Amino acid sequence: MIEPLEGLGLAGLGAVVFLDQWPAVQAMVSRPLVVGSLAGLLLGAPADGALWGAVFEVAFLAIQPVGAARYPDAGLAALAGTTVALVGLREVSRAGGEPVYPAVLAVAVALGAGALGEWAGGWHRRRNGVTAARVQSQVAVGDLGAPGRAVLIALARGALIGAVVTLLSLIGGLAGLALAQDVGAGLLSAAGLRLPAVVVAAVVGVRLFLRGPSSRLAWVGGAAGGAALAWLGSA
Amino acid sequence: MTASGSAAAPRRFSRAGERRRIAFRALGVQAVWNYDTLQAVGFAWSLLPGLERIYPDRAERAGRVLAHLDLINANPYLSTLGLGVALRLEQEVARDPAIAGPRQARLLKALNGPLGALGDELFWGAWRPALGLTAALFALATMSVWPALIFLVAFNGLAQSVRFGGVRAGFAGGAGIARVLRDPFWRRATGRARTLGAVAAGAAFGAGLVWAGTAAGDLGWRDADGAWAWASAAAFALSVFLLVLGARGGRGERPLVPVLALLVLLAACSALVQAGGGG
Repeated sequence: MIEPLEGLGLAGLGAVVFLDQWPAVQAMVSRPLVVGSLAGLLLGAPADGALWGAVFEVAFLAIQPVGAARYPDAGLAALAGTTVALVGLREVSRAGGEPVYPAVLAVAVALGAGALGEWAGGWHRRRNGVTAARVQSQVAVGDLGAPGRAVLIALARGALIGAVVTLLSLIGGLAGLALAQDVGAGLLSAAGLRLPAVVVAAVVGVRLFLRGPSSRLAWVGGAAGGAALAWLGSA
Repeated sequence: MTASGSAAAPRRFSRAGERRRIAFRALGVQAVWNYDTLQAVGFAWSLLPGLERIYPDRAERAGRVLAHLDLINANPYLSTLGLGVALRLEQEVARDPAIAGPRQARLLKALNGPLGALGDELFWGAWRPALGLTAALFALATMSVWPALIFLVAFNGLAQSVRFGGVRAGFAGGAGIARVLRDPFWRRATGRARTLGAVAAGAAFGAGLVWAGTAAGDLGWRDADGAWAWASAAAFALSVFLLVLGARGGRGERPLVPVLALLVLLAACSALVQAGGGG
């Protein structure tokens, strides 16, 4: 279903995604929109990857990584879900069928990967607590290299967690894909995928941003503009 | 040592190279994030280049690193502001540890709240979702990787500028950092991001209406008949209703509702397509 090099690339991407979410840099490479596009590039289908990245972006839009809040791992979820969707499309196309994604399975796999990532992230934070306590005792006896070593160890552990969670999610997701291929349910084309995604985007967007009269005015303007652009695009 | 007394000397100490080293290290300020001391280890490690200059004596330096290993919390992009303040106050501590030490500890503790809340409000609550929603809509419409690239450039343009300018601003502000935090820039930037988000939410609604109309024809839903098609349409409507009820903005409440709603919507759409015989 996927080549070993593709699997390796996806695991490496998983490591980067896990680190970017909170341990390092936070350049937003871990956002589903970006992760989907990168996974698409790795699997030779950037346009499909971008589409799935957008679908997962709107689904995970309301999550805010605030303090010790617990939330599904959106980046790893998008990586696993997009991969399953794109590999499913590739398998169907190879068999000469209609170009459809295993849409329901892809989102279900993303949910599982997100939960696994959330658990792994919590474990990593608890391990970091042990590391931080050790750093305090080492610095107390004059070891000034301890904080730097702790940072490196924590980053390496985070990268490993990201890669392992990605590989486990992909193994589960691709096994599910192999089992589901004969069922033929939950399939959608790109056109069919767009509508559910935009419905989620519209509702989540309203809940996040509609506060006060000026935002309502902006919303009305956006609605007119969005309808006009979509109409022009489809005409 | 008073604040005015410290203001006479400190600027020359914070060299550009040192500030850069601190800001680069701050890219990993959350590397050892944990439930007990939050960002403390990353914060102390980021501050080390400055402490090396201020405290040439190793034992003294270790004592100051230890003072920063208690509990530190800030939004990651604003943590450099706290680092700049800490660096400035460390110079006072070096001159008068008995008075400036406790003062620095109190100030950094007091900064935990504002540095977290201000950054979370701007970056996590407004800037990122607004840009994400806008870029996602363009990606849905165009199936192109360009929106993702533009999202990255736009987000990091603000976020990393704040991060890399933070050490300098924090150092210049010192104990008067509240002035920087009260600057209208933060409120304006948050307000503009929210307006962009509201426009994007409206655009999603408008585009959704048009796409629903075209999808009905393209996917064969108009030709669909039978109980299965009605059940699918009802499931679609019900999941939208539940999504409206359950989706919350703000601090990650019910984070799975939109994903579960998406799952049901996709299943309903897929069933409708099959019932209508579309592709």
